[in-house]
Amino acid sequence: MTSNLLYKELRLAAHPNLFIFALMGPLVLIPGYPYMMVFLFSLIGNFVNLMYTRETNDIYYTTLLPLKRSEVVLGKWLVLLVSQLVTILFSIPFAFLRLRLFSLPNPVGIEANVAFYGFGLMIFACFNFIFLTSYFQTVYKVGTSFLKGLFFATVLAIIVEVSVHFPMLAWLDTVTFAGQLKQLPILAAGVLIYVVAMWGAYKVSAKRFRQVNL
Amino acid sequence: MNLLEVTELTKNYPTFTLENVSFQVPAGKIIGLIGVNGAGKTTILKALLNLIPVDHGKVTMFEKYFLENEQSCKQKTGVVLGGIDFYKEKKVKDITMVTKRFYDDWDEAAYQKFLKLFSLDPNKKVKELSAGMRVKYLIALALSHQAKLFIFDEPTSGLDPVSRDELIEIFLQIVKNGDKSILFSTHITSDLEKCADAIVYIKEGKLVKEAPKQEFIAYFQKLKRPDETAMLSLEDIMVRMEGKHYDF
Repeated sequence: MTSNLLYKELRLAAHPNLFIFALMGPLVLIPGYPYMMVFLFSLIGNFVNLMYTRETNDIYYTTLLPLKRSEVVLGKWLVLLVSQLVTILFSIPFAFLRLRLFSLPNPVGIEANVAFYGFGLMIFACFNFIFLTSYFQTVYKVGTSFLKGLFFATVLAIIVEVSVHFPMLAWLDTVTFAGQLKQLPILAAGVLIYVVAMWGAYKVSAKRFRQVNL
Repeated sequence: MNLLEVTELTKNYPTFTLENVSFQVPAGKIIGLIGVNGAGKTTILKALLNLIPVDHGKVTMFEKYFLENEQSCKQKTGVVLGGIDFYKEKKVKDITMVTKRFYDDWDEAAYQKFLKLFSLDPNKKVKELSAGMRVKYLIALALSHQAKLFIFDEPTSGLDPVSRDELIEIFLQIVKNGDKSILFSTHITSDLEKCADAIVYIKEGKLVKEAPKQEFIAYFQKLKRPDETAMLSLEDIMVRMEGKHYDF
């Protein structure tokens, strides 16, 4: 059923911008750029996607299929998950390429290193929980849900981009092998926070959606 | 056997209440759900499909409690919600390609047969189909996944008389073997005169009368004026039950 749901989401419900905004990884090739934008662009893709969902009456269609209401939520949850994994995985080769192409560090903010991906997962986690649970309270207030989620995600992104300029946190900005090994706990924390937030987002969204009048 | 039993369905909105509505849909029958705009017809249909959570009441479909068997009940249900079109920019064949994956009993040969029978072009986008063709497409999907219960919300509203007549012919064909039923909400009562076996009449969220069509019409002959001799039609009955007088 999960594969059918994902197939439906990608074949019928998805807006092309979902894919475009998930493929912003090459931005890490820009010598000086706030690389956290890679993650924020991915959030915009999901916002446009749910706007399109509303426009196409996708929630009605899906609810009338032989599915439980919680599986309607699962479909949208899967799209968030897959699009964000694609964002991360697609950007990794470009992060390596950047190291080969440019020797100078990114003057704007954090490098595309292990800590960067850990913080990216935290940004996704924060956004997903707020965005999805808010959306499934009504299934039509997409803009409000997005702005709520985006606010916290942007604040987190700004904190990360600014913090690496403080000498005591410079270890977060290194791209050496040994330096990135030290950043592994940030990545682990990101993964853990992402898993917990996604679990919570699904549970709360499914509970809220049960009460929605379509 | 009843394919659908609705018992004491109640839904409270701030400005509207659907109150203790109960009725049955036996196999092989077309049941007309009538009432004026805003009477609660769509609310009933949405409530029995769990599109809106109810405050009280029970829905039994195919002799199973719907909420506990939602997936298996929906496998055998075909739904057309009036005025709601899915994926207008998508081609018919793309929607079918996705939809059929969700149904255990999908019959591709039957689907191809109904496409031809209803003159549906699978390469057309939904927005390119006329209102009547959209309803026919949804009926073709439902018939292809072996639906037994068809729930139609105002399927003939906004259609020309020829298309309406054609749909009614299709409805009669659907139920002719006696194993499928249609619950059909409308305010176009002339359609029901032609095909309904029984009528469920809703007024301001309350059930006024549920009876076989002839019994229903006979019951409301009490609304006739003393000088009238002809039988009141369903439309006359609704107008007399709901009509308001304005004195400027």
